[in-house]
Formats: sequence, structure tokens, C-alpha cells
Amino acid sequence: MLIIMSFILLFSLLSIGSASGKILFNSTIQQGDGYQINNYVIDVTEVFTSQDAVTLRIYKGESDNDDYVYDPFLSVDSSYEFDIEDEDVEITLIDVYSGVVPQVKLLITVSDDDFINSKTEGIVDGGHSEAVFSGTPVLKISKSVDKNTVGVGDIVRVTVTVENTGDDDAEDVIFSDPFQPKFILIDDILGTPGRMDIASDDPTKKVYLYDLKATEAGTFSLSPATASFSNSVGESFPQASSNSPTVLVEASKDLVTADLDVDLEFDSYTVNRKDEIEATVRIKNLGSASANAVNIGILIPEGLEYAGGDSVIEVISGEPTIYLDSFGAQQEKEINFKLKVMEIGTYTIKTESSYLFDDGVNTQKQEVSSDSVSNAIYVAEGEYDYLFEQPIYVYLIPLIIIGAVAGWIIHRHKQYKF
Amino acid sequence: MLNILIIGNGQCGNRILDAINRESFGKKSRFAKFYSQQKYKSNVQTIAINTAINDLKEMSFTKAKDRIHIPHLHGVGANRNVGKNVFEENKSHIMRQIQERGDFDVCFVLTSASGGTGSSFSPMLIKELKEKGDYPVYAVVVLPFREEGTLYLQNAAFCLRDIRESGVDGIILADNQFLKQMGGNVESAYNGINDMIARRLLFLLDALDSEMMMVTDLGDFKTVMSGGAGIATIGFYEADTGMPVKNAIREALSPSGLLFSTDVYKEASRSMVIIRGDRESLSIDEISEEVEKLSSSVGHVFKGIVVRKDEHPQVLAVLTLESASELENLYAIAVDAINYERQKKERVETQKDVDRAFSQIDGLDPSY
Repeated sequence: MLIIMSFILLFSLLSIGSASGKILFNSTIQQGDGYQINNYVIDVTEVFTSQDAVTLRIYKGESDNDDYVYDPFLSVDSSYEFDIEDEDVEITLIDVYSGVVPQVKLLITVSDDDFINSKTEGIVDGGHSEAVFSGTPVLKISKSVDKNTVGVGDIVRVTVTVENTGDDDAEDVIFSDPFQPKFILIDDILGTPGRMDIASDDPTKKVYLYDLKATEAGTFSLSPATASFSNSVGESFPQASSNSPTVLVEASKDLVTADLDVDLEFDSYTVNRKDEIEATVRIKNLGSASANAVNIGILIPEGLEYAGGDSVIEVISGEPTIYLDSFGAQQEKEINFKLKVMEIGTYTIKTESSYLFDDGVNTQKQEVSSDSVSNAIYVAEGEYDYLFEQPIYVYLIPLIIIGAVAGWIIHRHKQYKF
Repeated sequence: MLNILIIGNGQCGNRILDAINRESFGKKSRFAKFYSQQKYKSNVQTIAINTAINDLKEMSFTKAKDRIHIPHLHGVGANRNVGKNVFEENKSHIMRQIQERGDFDVCFVLTSASGGTGSSFSPMLIKELKEKGDYPVYAVVVLPFREEGTLYLQNAAFCLRDIRESGVDGIILADNQFLKQMGGNVESAYNGINDMIARRLLFLLDALDSEMMMVTDLGDFKTVMSGGAGIATIGFYEADTGMPVKNAIREALSPSGLLFSTDVYKEASRSMVIIRGDRESLSIDEISEEVEKLSSSVGHVFKGIVVRKDEHPQVLAVLTLESASELENLYAIAVDAINYERQKKERVETQKDVDRAFSQIDGLDPSY
């Protein structure tokens, strides 16, 4: 019999251990106080010292006195089991104590305490009405623009609002709205919002209001505004992000550019060696803005020789260079120079152009560089080149004859000069 | 080959000499000297002598080494006395220059009778040549225009006499007065006269040294020149195409062909006729006929014929004169000129009009 009793006791202990795996509380609680496990408060409603029993009421969240979910009556050594967030919670009355304010000793065990928020766990003086419950604030941040399609240089007004759609206040909310590439902050109307609290029942709040100026054509997604926050019990939550509105920036009519077209032409493309070619550099500004510091380098290949030109051409380090301080919109100019053809061959001449212009949007001038290549010049044998291809005697004999004639004339002249 | 010396004295002599040298190139171009050679058959030496350096500089076809400048200002100013003194002072220099050229067979001295240097140098030069050399010397003397002035006329008169007395072997006269009738302005007339003289002399030199069908040589020329009064002239004519040679001979002997106005059939003493041309155009009968006609009046005529293919007949006649009425006329005028000059000089010396004018203020002082 004793053995059987021992097994029964062991079985019982094992059973208890399995039902309430971890001891959450094993102490005394005064009547009228409660013990909170997350959103649940176990109130010690009335202690019956004479009967070694107690009446408990289990409330969920903020509730009226009568709005409890469980109200177990426990005698000493009896237990009551319920579940919170799918975990088993077992309350065992260990003892009751009389006094001015009766007390009970409770043993509260849970199958797993991982779900328990330490900030909402423990004895609550005054019971459930005094308990502080934790919630989950949900910040809904909205970023919007007043125009989804603008031109370069146009202003876009950006509004960022926030709303707490959670069940708890968001506290210590810190917003961040990163710098927006391709846009310039023109006016920050509301300024940078400071640290703030957003209650769950607060109306939608405007946190950012600013104007951006589009500087470049394209389709851009604005960077999302973010907020870091915690709930009323100081729990930090993942950063909340806003949406990313898309803005289509079209090339605005107001954006001005300088567009230089540099063309190099010659009066003849088939020439003989030793001939001279008249070259014309035609510069045309097709854009709507003036070009400044226009620099056009004329890269003359070997076999051709620069033979002078208009005064705007300077030879710098052997390279003819055109420099124009300013070149107006739609302006056209022709600059002439001459090339002497020294060698037979086919030549193209490259021009390297660079200039600056003010696009009316950006504060800094835009720099443009471009290259162009002329049509080919075909250089054939010169009219008298064949003379240089003859054997030496072809030149020597006439020279000797001419020399002899000249010598004879000089001799005769001296003979007759008095 | 003959060694011939031709000396041009004074401006006129220089110009005739230069014309001879130009003609000898056979081209008319002024640049002929640069591309052509002188075509003398003989060894011809030419020397130009002048006191005026500008006259020497004007010469174009005479070599510089053949131009002798006698420094005396810019000429002798038509004063033969000055000229004679200058020659005397420079005689040795001039003669040395001539003798350096070697020995000669014959010499021609070209000069004007009326100028300064030529008229004064030539008689003395001829005298020196005759004394120092052993060859005949002939003077080609150009007589002045009659209206050129009294000084020139008296110079001509005395120069001719001095040349004749210098021992010269003959005087060939060329008369500007006669030749200018051919027309043209003074300059072209001078040039034309110079060219005429040059061409005749060249023809003569060529003939004397050429192989001939009928021979005349230097000996014949000497004989001709030694006849008469020692005064001669030259006639020349070049026939046109188809002209008979007899007509050419007549033209050469006519006044238009002569250098000095004379009637050859009356005044000539001896003659030498040289005819040159293509064989076809030289009719012996016609030549003989004309030569016989001349010889019947003159006495003896030396006849030479030079055959040159494709040449028109050209006739040169050298004629010595027994008398020269034109020369007498010249001297008559010259005597008047000499008298006029003398009287003028005497009048100046005796009347002293200017001195009398100045004498009126002798002993007076200007008062202000």
C-alpha cells in the first residue's frame, strides 16, 4: 500500500511539473491585489481564511470589475489552469493567512515563460484596475506629393503624415526623412520634427511639409520617411517606414542649354601636294543659352601644316586653338584658316570642343565636351612632284647650262662694262 | 690674215668704232654681244680714245679694255690747242696701249674734223703711228654740218690740213652736211651716218681678207689711196631682189651712195670696185661694162668680186680724188669763220667796252 501511495504521489508531482513547467510566482498576495501576466491580471478577490479557500478573478486587459474572464474558487492545495497566448498557466493555492488584510500564498506556474513580458509581469497593488497593460503601437507614415508629374525646375510639395493605428501609444517617436537626390530643398515649412509621442487615439499628424525643386528629368521614387518608436511600456518596435511616392520629372521648357555644333569644311577635298586648302570652322549654337569659354582645338595630323588663319585662332603648343569668351544662343560664326599639304595621303582633322553654359537651374555652370571629325582630304601627287623624281642629271644638266650661260653673260658684261 | 688696227678718236670716232663693232656681230640686237661673236675675217683690234669719259661709257659694243680714257675734265671743249697739249702729255701712255696690241698691216683712224679731242688728237696720233710703226695709216675724217658753228668749221679746216701733213697715207672723207640730206632727225642722221661708215669699212675689211673670184688686196687698196690728192671717199650700194648688178654699181658711184659729195667721173683719180653677191646675180658683162665706163673717166679701176651664196649684189667703191670742189667750198666757208672769230676777238681786246663801263665809278664809294 505504501509503495502504491508513493507511486501515486510521484505521479502527481510529475503531473504538476508537467502542467506548470516553470514557476512564475510562489509567494503571498494580499486580498485586493493581483498578479499580472501580460494582459491578464489575476485578482485575489476574497480570502476565506476560515475555509482555507480563496476566490480569484482573472481579467483580460482593462476591464470593469464584473468583466472578468475567469473566477475560480480554490481551496488550499487545489489548482486552476487556463491558457494565455497558448501557454498553460496553473494557479495553485498553497495557503491562506488571516489578518487585517488576509493573504494567500499562490504558486503560479507556466508551461513556457518566453511569451511573458517582464514589464507587465508581477504583483499589481489594487488589482486589475491599477494594472498597466502593454500594447503595440502601429505607426502608419504616409508620404505624399502634390504633383506626380513636374518639369525640371518645378516645385514639388512633399507632405509626411503619421497615424498610430496600434493599440498602444507610440512614445519617443523620432522621424527621419533622408536627402532626396536630384532635388533641391527649397523650403522646409514645418522644420525637423522633434521627439514626440503619438497616442493611439491621436488624429493623423503632419510631421513633415517641405518643397523640393526638380533638377533633372527622370522618374524618381522619393525616399521613404522613417520613424523609430517604443510603446507605452518602453518596448522598442521595428522602424516604421512610409511609402515612396513616384515623381515624373519632365524636361522643362524653362531649362536652357547651349548646344554647340562645330563643323569643319574645306574648299577642296582632293588636292595636290604643296597646295593650300582653305578650311572653314562653322560654329553654331543650337541651344537657348549662351556658351562660355568656348575652346576648340584643331588637331592637325602630320603631313598637313597650319598656314595661318583668322585672329581668333591661336597656336598653343603647336595646336591651332579657337577660343571664344562667349557665344550667344543661335549665334553662328565662321572662322577660316589655311592648311598646307605637305605629304601625299588621306587625312581627317579632328576638332575637340569644350564649353560651359548656365542651364538656369543649377547653380554651377554645366560643362560640355565633344569631338568631331572632318571628311577625308585626299592628297595626290603635286603638279611638279615628278620633277623631284627624275635622276639627278635631269636637274644638273640644265643647271650647268644655265650656270654657263649666266657665267658667259657676266663675263661678257665685265668685258664691255666701262 | 691681215692685222688691222682701227682707232676711234673723240666722240665721233668712238661712235663710228662702236658701230663697226656692233655691225661685226652680224646682229642688230643690243644683246648680240652676249650670244654672238664678232665676225671679222682679219685680226682686227679696235681702240677708242677720248678725254670725255661719258662718251666712252656710251659705247656698248667695244670692250672696256679697248677704251682709253685720257683724263682731262670732260673733254677739251672744241679747243684744238688744249687737245694737242693733252695729247702731248699723254702720248706715251696712248702709244704704249697701241703698241701692246702688236704689229699691224694697216691702220684706220676714225675722227671728226670739227670736234675737240678727235680733231686735235688725230693728226698727232697719226704722226706718232707713222713714226713708231711700219704700216699704212688711213684717216677716216667726218666733216661737220656747215651750220654747226664757226669753231667747228675752223677746227675742220685746220684738222684736215694737220692730218694731211701728219704723214697719213690717205684720207677718206665722210661729210655730215652731205649725208644729212638723207633725212631724219639729227640723232637718227648721226646714227645713220655712223652706220653707213661702219658698214662700208667692214665691207672693205672683209673684201681685203676674202678669197675672190677677181682679186683685190691691201696692195691694191694702198695703190688706190696713194693716187690723186690723197683724199678719197667710199661709195656703197646693196641691190634689191632682181636688181641688175650694173644698176648697183651705178648707185654706189652716184651721190646717194657716196660718203662725200663728188662727181666721180670728173674728180676721181683712182678707184677700186668690189662686188659681192650670189654667183647668179653677178653678171660679168654688166660688171665689166660699168667698170670700163668708170675706168674710161678715172683711169685705173681695181676690180674685185666676192661670191657669196644667196646674197644680193653689194658694191663698194673706193675712189681717190684729184680735186674736190666741195672741199674747196668747205674751206671757203671755214676761212670766213676763222676771220669772223679773229675779228671778234680783236674787237673784244681793243674796244674793252666792259672795262670802260667799270671805269666810270673809279674813285667813288657807295654812300648809304
